[in-house]
Amino acid sequence: MTVVSTIPTEESETETFRTHIVERLQQKELDLPLLPVVANQVLLLSGDPNADSSKLSALIQQDQALAGQILRIANSAACAPRSPIVSLQQAIAWLGMNMLASLAFSVSVQSGVFKVKGYEKEVRTLWHQALATGLYGKEIARRNRHNVENAFLCGILHTIGKPLLIHLILQARGDSPAQPSWAVMDTLIQESHILAGTKLAEAWQLPQPVQEAIRFYPDEAYHQANSPTKGAMITCLADHLATSIVDPSSLDEEALRALPVVQDLNFYPEDMDALLELKDSIQQSVEAFLV
Amino acid sequence: MTPTTSYDLVVIGSGPAGQKAAIQGAKAGKRVALIEQTREVGGACVYHGTIPSKTLRETALKMVHFLHATDVFDFRMRDDLKIASLMTRLDTVVRAHGKFMKEQITRNGIDRFHGRAQFLSDREIQVRGLGGNTTTLTAPVSVIATGSRPRVPDHIPIDHEHILDSDSILSLVYFPKSLTVLGGGVIASEYASIFSLLGVQVTMVDTADRPLKFLDPELTDQFCRAFEKTGGHYRGQQKVQHAQWDGFSKVTTLLESGETLESEKMLVALGRVANIEHLNIQAAGLTPTPRGLISVNDQCQTTVPHIYAVGDVIGPPSLASCSMEQGRRAVCHALGLNPGDAPEHIPMGIFTIPEMSSVGLSEQEAIEKYGGDALVGRAHFHEIARGQISGMTNGLLKMVADAKGGKLLGVHIVGEGATELIHIGQMGLLHHIDIDRFVDNIFNFPTLAEAYRIAALDIAKQRKK
Ligand SMILES: Cc1cc2nc3c(=O)[nH]c(=O)nc-3n(C[C@H](O)[C@H](O)[C@H](O)COP(=O)(O)OP(=O)(O)OC[C@H]3O[C@@H](n4cnc5c(N)ncnc54)[C@H](O)[C@@H]3O)c2cc1C
Repeated sequence: MTVVSTIPTEESETETFRTHIVERLQQKELDLPLLPVVANQVLLLSGDPNADSSKLSALIQQDQALAGQILRIANSAACAPRSPIVSLQQAIAWLGMNMLASLAFSVSVQSGVFKVKGYEKEVRTLWHQALATGLYGKEIARRNRHNVENAFLCGILHTIGKPLLIHLILQARGDSPAQPSWAVMDTLIQESHILAGTKLAEAWQLPQPVQEAIRFYPDEAYHQANSPTKGAMITCLADHLATSIVDPSSLDEEALRALPVVQDLNFYPEDMDALLELKDSIQQSVEAFLV
Repeated sequence: MTPTTSYDLVVIGSGPAGQKAAIQGAKAGKRVALIEQTREVGGACVYHGTIPSKTLRETALKMVHFLHATDVFDFRMRDDLKIASLMTRLDTVVRAHGKFMKEQITRNGIDRFHGRAQFLSDREIQVRGLGGNTTTLTAPVSVIATGSRPRVPDHIPIDHEHILDSDSILSLVYFPKSLTVLGGGVIASEYASIFSLLGVQVTMVDTADRPLKFLDPELTDQFCRAFEKTGGHYRGQQKVQHAQWDGFSKVTTLLESGETLESEKMLVALGRVANIEHLNIQAAGLTPTPRGLISVNDQCQTTVPHIYAVGDVIGPPSLASCSMEQGRRAVCHALGLNPGDAPEHIPMGIFTIPEMSSVGLSEQEAIEKYGGDALVGRAHFHEIARGQISGMTNGLLKMVADAKGGKLLGVHIVGEGATELIHIGQMGLLHHIDIDRFVDNIFNFPTLAEAYRIAALDIAKQRKK
């Protein structure tokens, strides 16, 4: 009898996942679970009638999966908003604390939680990157006195395709005990996260400027965006600044200042000085998230 | 070493004031450089002021008329169309206007420099580009037209997210349920009435007992009634102690009276400050006034005679209309050209809902200036056929004449079309037309211009026999 090895090579494994991803992205129903720690906090806060409403609001605004799901449900026929909900703040003001708490609760129950075991560090970095992009997006928009709320939403959701891909890969793995390496995951994420994010945003009918930021935030693409809110361009710079926080070996200050998007946003050296000065405070906010 | 280029005229700022100054220089055959720190030309007027606020107003009015028409015709407008169409139209109009202005500058052979200007001396101006690269321009004459921006009061933490100013209000992507507007001036009143019409619960808060204090009280009374009819509230004689975002869903405003107001968003419109911080005007031998403005004489010359300043940077009236004329006249003066007679009667147009406009003396000013009584003639729009036909019955035209009822001294109008209608009065004032000329002449019928005749007749009736 010949023994056939069942240990897949990295390449064939990647290919299998790739096929699964492509198949899943073609389906209309896309779901995205929450991080276990986010789901826990939601359950805690939404179950406590004395909970501080600003804590729930902060939680919703810090987690991309939760933020996206809240927007999706807030816009659904079940909630029947008078006009579309295009910002998290609007959702919060429109729905009120009680409704929000029950929405958050049902999201965390229905979506389930990520099984991130083995990838904790990498997953945390992804979440931190998204949050830092949202926070930098806000500050960039604030300097322009334009579009702060929208810039934050674009920033936090611009890489929503990344957790979706992790989820799809983990789903494809099923109950197999073998863990795909992070290198495999990362290859697939880099390859397809924009497509995955775009599909998710379409399926969830996220606001138009957010859909645009997801598709067009990279350096070579933001010129294609035409929303007056400039969300893609703002997110492009915010993403670079956020990367410099989560991965200090990426771009140094000089390289950040030389990015074409800086000039396209009409930022002078003093504008960049002001943004770079925010590094510590943004880093603190990011690190304080879900410790 | 930075490159140096010499010009006959350097203009700093491409808003209405700078643009007209530069064009006047070019038309006179001079080599002109125009420095602008933003990518686009047109200034606050195009991107944050006149053009966007008026576009928003027009679109809001059209939308409301359209919504009212749904009572008559059988259709429904999608709710989400409102803000999306408002914003798209705003962007289209602003872009088109910006493009037009750029073309006008190019057509006139003006050299455009994209960068921030600062004086190195009274005849040298450095332009610092986005990348920090510099170019020095020299010119025997320069014009400062750097405009203004919203004032940030110390006690109100404007974050452009929950607490907005008149720039950031234009980037709202949805209508808040409620809005507190701080201020009772032109910008505050315009935005308050637009948002109120669009169904936002608006509360204006100001220290004055009525908004737009400089206008005739009969006009502002009518404005307040219309504002209240759309659900708005004016809270006069109130000082704000502080305002803050509660971290969840509302902005709370504490008044000195101890009362607290709550709203989803706040608009702060408490005046404007001149843009002089990057200019290094001291190097040119200039000092700002205590209010941070550049002071000028009647010809818009600063204390350094070959440096002129025009537009919002010199303070009131801070209108695009006046800024343009100041720009043109300043350059005519600098080049020894005849600028024509100085404008005597500048109309004031306020694009609230309803519009208000004023030219010449108010009733009170007429009494103070000429002593005795002034005669006032009134025409209510509901008395005019056109007012009835168009459903514009809430309007008033008020004519102020001397005590004999012969000489026209001022015209004040509230109601849709007021900012256009005022120009008949302006021409009347400029050409010293008697009150009777408005009675004897024929205007198109049915038009709102008939109000002039009715008001003039009202004055004629009051003359002492
Ligand atoms: C909400 C709102 C509504 C308004 N409505 C009306 C209205 O209905 N009718 C009316 O007549 N007026 C209106 N105004 C006023 C009108 O917009 C201003 O009076 C007008 O824009 C002033 O023109 P300006 O050329 O002086 O300055 P701005 O239009 O402010 O332009 C100045 C330019 O200078 C540039 N600049 C500044 N510093 C530098 C520097 N160091 N180097 C290079 N460039 C520099 C700026 O970027 C800007 O482009 C309104 C204003 C606002 C805010």
